[in-house]
This record gives sequence, C-alpha cells and structure tokens, in this order.
Amino acid sequence: MERLGRQPSTVELHAFDAQWSEHCSYKSSRRHLKRLPTNGAGVVLGPGEDAGVLHLGVHNGERFAVVVAHESHNHPSQVVPFEGAATGIGGIVRDVLCMGAEVIAVADPLRFGMVDGTQTHQAYVARSVVDGIGAYGNAIGVPNIAGDVYFDHGFDENCLVNVVALGIVKETDVIHSYVPKDAEGWQIVLVGKATDPSGFGGASFSSLTLDARDAELNKGAVQVPDPFLKNVLMRASYRVFMLLRELKITAAFKDLGAGGIMGCSAEMTSHGGYGAEIDLDGVNVAVEGMAPEVIAVGETQERLLWVVPPEIAPEVLRIYNEVFTLPDVAYNARATAIGRVTTERRYVVRHRGSVVMDVESEFLTGAIHDELPYTEVIHHAGAVEELPAVDVETLFPKVLAHHDVCSREPLYRRYDAVVRGMTVVVRGRADAGVLAPIAGSRLGVALAVAGNPRYGRIDPGYAAEHAVVEAMRRVVAVGARPIGLTNCLNFGNPRKPEQYGEFVAAVDGLARAATALDLPIVSGNVSLYNESPEGLAVPASAIVACVGAFEDVAEVVTPGLKAPGSALLWVGSRELVIGGSVLAELLGTESALPHISYGAERAAVAIVHDAIARGVLRSCHAIRDGGMLTALARLAFDAMQQGRRVGAEIDFGNPLCEAGGFLCEVSDDSGIDLTGALRVGKTNDTSELIVNGVRFEIARLYETWSAPLAAIYP
Amino acid sequence: MSARIAVLVFPGTNSEDETVRLMRDCGGDAELVHWSQAETLAQYDAFVLSGGFAYEDRIRAGAVAAHDRMMDFVLTAANAGKLVFGICNGAQILLEAGLVPGTGPVGRPTAAFTKNARAPHFVCRHVYLKLAIEPARCAITAALPTGALVPAWAAHAEGRLAATDDHLNEIVAGNHLAFVYADANGVVDEAAVPNGSAMGCAGLVNRAGNVLAIMPHPERDAWNFNHLDRREGDDVLAPSGGALLFQSFVQALS
Repeated sequence: MERLGRQPSTVELHAFDAQWSEHCSYKSSRRHLKRLPTNGAGVVLGPGEDAGVLHLGVHNGERFAVVVAHESHNHPSQVVPFEGAATGIGGIVRDVLCMGAEVIAVADPLRFGMVDGTQTHQAYVARSVVDGIGAYGNAIGVPNIAGDVYFDHGFDENCLVNVVALGIVKETDVIHSYVPKDAEGWQIVLVGKATDPSGFGGASFSSLTLDARDAELNKGAVQVPDPFLKNVLMRASYRVFMLLRELKITAAFKDLGAGGIMGCSAEMTSHGGYGAEIDLDGVNVAVEGMAPEVIAVGETQERLLWVVPPEIAPEVLRIYNEVFTLPDVAYNARATAIGRVTTERRYVVRHRGSVVMDVESEFLTGAIHDELPYTEVIHHAGAVEELPAVDVETLFPKVLAHHDVCSREPLYRRYDAVVRGMTVVVRGRADAGVLAPIAGSRLGVALAVAGNPRYGRIDPGYAAEHAVVEAMRRVVAVGARPIGLTNCLNFGNPRKPEQYGEFVAAVDGLARAATALDLPIVSGNVSLYNESPEGLAVPASAIVACVGAFEDVAEVVTPGLKAPGSALLWVGSRELVIGGSVLAELLGTESALPHISYGAERAAVAIVHDAIARGVLRSCHAIRDGGMLTALARLAFDAMQQGRRVGAEIDFGNPLCEAGGFLCEVSDDSGIDLTGALRVGKTNDTSELIVNGVRFEIARLYETWSAPLAAIYP
Repeated sequence: MSARIAVLVFPGTNSEDETVRLMRDCGGDAELVHWSQAETLAQYDAFVLSGGFAYEDRIRAGAVAAHDRMMDFVLTAANAGKLVFGICNGAQILLEAGLVPGTGPVGRPTAAFTKNARAPHFVCRHVYLKLAIEPARCAITAALPTGALVPAWAAHAEGRLAATDDHLNEIVAGNHLAFVYADANGVVDEAAVPNGSAMGCAGLVNRAGNVLAIMPHPERDAWNFNHLDRREGDDVLAPSGGALLFQSFVQALS
C-alpha cells in the first residue's frame, strides 16, 4: 500500500496475492536454490524460464537441443486425482511447448500412500492418478517413457504426482518467455480455452496444507483438463513455429500457469523491460459476468500467451482459429488479441472501459524474499551396519514381490509408450526410456527418474545425492552419456523449521552431487506444504530426472541377458550396507544410507562406457531397489520375454544389498579394470538363476514379480 | 506422376506424423490433410486415416469423425475403388462409417471396434498381426507373403470387434477377417489377443478389397531402431518390421 500510495483495487489484491505466493515467487526457497549448479558447456538455457534447454548433438550441420521441465501436481492430485494428475501433464507439456519445441516424451515419478485393499482412498488415488496421466498423455500423443512409483504410509494423505516432459528443438529456434528488444506496440495474443472460473486461487491453494474438511471447497481451485483441445493447440502452435522460422521473427511465448493472464503477461513484458496494457474485454470467456479479478488471475487450463509483431498477429490468429478451427474444438476456444506492449513499464488492466489495475511492472513481478528459519538436519553418517549372508531362498521372492520392487507393468500398460513412432526402449524394459527424436537422425535421448523415499526418511540430504546418482546411473545403464538434470523438491511445511531444514539439506545434497558429477540442473520446481492435517510432512522427496544423449542411437544397450557364457560383473560401489533398502525393511533393521564416493561413481561410469565402446557389454542394469539380485532377475526376465534362454549362476555374500553400481553382462572381461569391478558370476543356457547354490526358476520368479500390482490396476 | 496419398488429420488425431514419415520412407508420396482443408481431398489417389482420438472419441470411438466432411470424400473415393487404409482410430472411423466390413447398406455400420473386454481401459502392448486372408484378397496386403506376420503395437481402449452373430458370420463367409492377433511365432490363441476381440480380429477388409481397417499400429514398430531384436549392423534408420504393410500399400499404388 505504501508503494502504491493508495488502497489497492480488488484486481490488484488478487494479483499480488498470486504473484507473491510461494508457488509463484519461490519467496523463501529461492535463496537456497541459488546453490544449485546450473552452468556447463552443454547448457543452452538454464533455469528462469518455463523449461531448461540442453545441447543434444548435431544433425545435418544443425545443433539440436532437448528441452526439459519438471513439476509437481501434488495437492490437486490428492483432492481430485484424475483431473489433478491430468492437468499436471497438461501443464508440463505447455512448459516445453512454449520454448518453441516439439513435445517428445513425458515421465511420471509417483509417490502413493499404502494401498491396503482396493477400496481405500489411497487405492482410489493410486488408480485415478494413473488413469488421469494416461488419459491426457495418450490423447495428446506424447509417449510416456519413464517414471517410478513408491508406496509408503508417509504419502497416505499427500500423494506426490511429479511430471517431467521433454521437447526437441533446433538451438536457433528456441522461443523465450520474455519479449525481445524493440517490442513496443507488439500485440499480446491469448490462445486456447475460454477463460472460466475454474482454478481461481490455484497458486495460493498450492501453498496451503490440505485438510480433508476443506477438500470439497478446494475442488473449485483445481482446473479442468482438456487434452482434446490441447492436442489441437499443440499442432497449431507447431504451425506458428514454422511461420516464425520462415519469417525469421523472434516472438515470445509462455504457458499460462500460476497467476493466469495477469501473471503471464506481466512477466513476459516486464522481463523484457516493458510494460503492458491488457483489455479484459478482449478475453474469450466461458460464462458472462465474471469479475475482472477472476478473468485476470484465474488459472483456467489449456491457455498460452504470444507476444508478436502486429503485422503477423492476423496470421497467428488465422492459424489457430481457421486452419485449426479452435472455436469448433472447444466452446469459445480461440486465439484473440488482448493487449499490447508499452514502454511505460506499468502494468495496466482495463475492464469495461475503466482501469481496474495500474501498477509498476517491476513491483508486481520483482522478487520478494521471505527468510524462514530452519533446523539443520544432522547427516546420519556412521553406524553403518553391514550384514552377514542372508537367507536368499526365502528373502529373494519376498523382495521381488515387494510393493516398491514388483513389476509396474499393470500401471504403465495404461500409458501409450510408442506414439510418434520414435521409441527405442519402452518404459519398464530397462533403467531408462530411449527415443530417436529427430526423423532421419541417429541422435538419441534417454530419460530416467529417481528419488527413494525410504532414503529420504533416513537422511534427506544424502537421499537427494542418491537421487542424482541413481538417475545418472539409470541413463548410463542404457548406454547414454548423461547431459543434465532437472528436479522437483517435494517437502513439508516451510514454516516449521524442522521440516524446512529437510528441504534445505536436500538442496545442499543436490548441489553436492550435481557439482561432483558435473551435471547441470537446468530446470526444477519446489512443492512445499506437503503436510498432513496432523502436521506430518511427506518423506523427504528430492526427485531427480536425468537426460542422456546418444551420438548414435544404435549404441543403446538393449534390455535383457544376451548369451550364455558371459561374465557378470558388479561395477562400482558395492558396500554391503542395507540402510534404506527393501531388505532392511523386510528384516526390520535400520541403519545409515550407503556411502557415496563420487570418484568411484565416475570410474564406474567410465568402465561401462568403455565396455560399450569396445563392444563387450551385452547388457547392463543399475543396482537399485531390491539389490543386485533384482537387477539380475530383471535382465533374465527380459531375455525370457524375448525368447532367449539365458540363465545365470552367481556367488556373492549379500546379493540383496542396494549399495549401487551396475550389474554388467560382458562377453570378455579381460580388458576391464577389475579394481573397479568384481566378478560375481556368469550366464549359462538354463532357465534358472542359481544364487549361492540356491536354484530359482526364472519363470516362477517372473510370476512372483509380475503379480502384486495387478490387484490395484486390473 | 506418382499416386498421391492423403494422411487425414481430424481434430484429436495424434499419429499423423509417423504415418506420413513411414509412407514416405516406403516410397509413397504422402501429405497431411487437415480437417479444415477437406475440399482438397478430391485431388488425392489414396487415403490413410491414422491413430488418435478424433473428436475426443465422443459417443464411441470414431462415431463423430465418421460424419466429418472429410469422410464424404473418403466414401466417394472408396466407392470408386481407391485405396483407403485406417489404423487404430482410423479403423474405428471406417467401421463407424460402414466402409468395413461393408456388409450392410451404404453408411450403416454392421460391426464396431469397442471397449476392450479383458481390461476395460487403454492398453499398450506389443502384438503381431497375422494375415488371415489370401494376400491378393485385399489390394493393400497384396504384396505380403501368405500368413505374413507384421509386428505392431496395440494402443487402444476400444479395439474389441463386436457385432451380432449374423454379422460375424457374414464377416467370416465374405472373407472380411483380414488380420488376427498372433504371438511372435505366429501362433493364434487367446493369450495373443489384447482386447477380447471377436475371432481374435485385428483387422477387417471390405468386399471389394480396397478398404482395410486395422487396430494395432505397425508404424510404431517400423524402423530398425524400434526393434529390440534388430541384428547388429542393421541400419537403425531403415524401415523394417511394421513397414512391410506400408510397403505393400505403396506397391499397390504403382
């Protein structure tokens, strides 16, 4: 009020409420996030816009890049899981689209409550979230190539629905989300669904803790997804990209997210050093008589904003409205000019002829800070418990059937993994999904996610480091070169110092791991207030996605054991530590997390890449949940499914440890540096796995592993 | 001049790009035609309806799209003997338009690809299409070997062939059952069918043999990089597998 020098109008109050919410402003988290490494030779665009951009490779003399974005849709998905999860996909896809990219993949790291029986609310959430993600992604025609799922009581009242999307773009064609120089008088064009009262208050809603009593009330704040309209919007936008390339015009394009028309147009113009005049009467609305603050700040889905030179605005409108007939696709959907760029650096909104908002642009969009106290989290080092040999005969089947290890196929079978015809490795067959995203090019992209909540509960900071390392390992295991990271930090209430301390520790952990592995973090998202009405935060969940690149996608390490007579090597870290493992949970013991040595991690990656280069690596699996034995079983299952009869015999003290590294099948290990690798066994031409003398039928193990989730996802 | 192939895009179609790309890689002269340019369809010699969710699958998959202006041109072309090929949602549209199996009056459907039986939701699963007619019975399959196995992905929620017993009998009697689901070894059994489709049907052909509707997507397992079982040394960018059917389509036009 002081700065305005008068009472703010209703529209202004709502505008500042949205802009200054944690959801939009990162007002408390920003200063911590500054510690993340965001630069590197491969970074085309770091954090700050709707998505990050990483150099992928050169095809026909042109530099191509991968656009990557990561977000959460946790609160909405807990309240209305189908719509909440679907809008999550819708939003992340727009974040990638508005960088001028073609959207090529999505991934979905999910954290659900324990599903006890099929009729619980947790079961309803777990099923509906997956159906919502499937319904949206399948309809728009973007393959789902990666993801993970954990079940834990810590998510009973706050599920986590993270979404990742990838796009492909020539580096010269990246479109920014702020207006370029000399943009005075440019037109502001709103595109998409008719603005309606849904999603009013969404940004502020996301920054509240959930209470079941308010669930019904909150539903009004969740937006309504329309993948059918989005499908057409994407294709029409691709046509506009073509137009801009032909005319060599630099325009600005941005997803309407938090803060609606106001938030988007203010940021696009202000970040380019301009102001804006918006006329709300130009906005296509779904119902008459909406209050100006609802039109200006409401978060109706499926909308984007262009800022374009006035001379091409008519053609942009024609593409959306006539070639792609938006008004026929959804009620009153269209592209429409709603304002213009001004040099006055004021953000002015008119409604029915009168000015309803008039503030300094920088005041509205400038960073505000809110330093919150936090309790330092103690790093749970020491007290590392090593276990003697375990009873593999009883425990191995239990590990395979564990809810965090068993097959995810009943779930991801509901997702289209192959639309666009560019899929090289589908989800679930290997540690990462792989695409050949450019027609006629050998360049390849790999994507994997990680973030183990059992680890998060023991040590939030170290868990974040493990998430980086695991995501990287998964990308390496399919033969790709890791090029960068994105992340979403899902934590509790930042106003509680002990919960906020977990967030701060996780940021430090991410920074440490990413720096040590030389992997830039180019985008990300923070989701706070994931706290139950009883005041319990979700298990600390730094969820990381890693992007990998292939010069030649022919070099992908395909899933499954390949041939009898191969040596099986455990490459990399192999501490007999079970802290945070599925085995520890089954045995009811607790201890510290496995130690990470970044030198050893880099050496392990080098060994894998070297084995690929020399043509001796037949298959590879990252060692993670369920340990080395689970990795071996997964390789054996894939061989069996592809009709290859390959078994294995291994001898190793505790093969259910999850302490990391890779299990590699190599045709010849004579050239491999065995200081960084250990021979654990070899493959044979049986249909069995023989572990420390105990025999398991691969087909029986497969049944054990495949069955559990079918009850939730029939 | 080579025959021109139109790949139709309805609002909600999502597989048009890979369909055009594969047609071109197989030597076809293919272009996208959007719904707002329906009138230009008169200039084309052959038509491909690709996958997706045209008109949001309102009422039933394909039901609304079957009445789109573009289908007027497709109907005329089909009756004139031109090739029409529908994949997944495109197949659903052809059934709803009554073009396949085409055993009833013009424009009246006699069968539908409808809600999956085994699991009443979307299912994405690798399958094989097994040619169940003499190759020459359908112009589009004419260049395939007898009993050809074509790899493909089933990716649909509504792919189960359903019709009255009388209509199913007509489908068999008239040799309309073009493709059935099979496993990798060509064995036809219930386990190979992803959706409970009647008679294990994966594809149907019309009486004249110029209109083919298949549910699974061969264009998603159609380049060497798509196949896990590619051989070492294969050019990863070369068409293969599912491309077999597209090659046969292009050959029928030359």
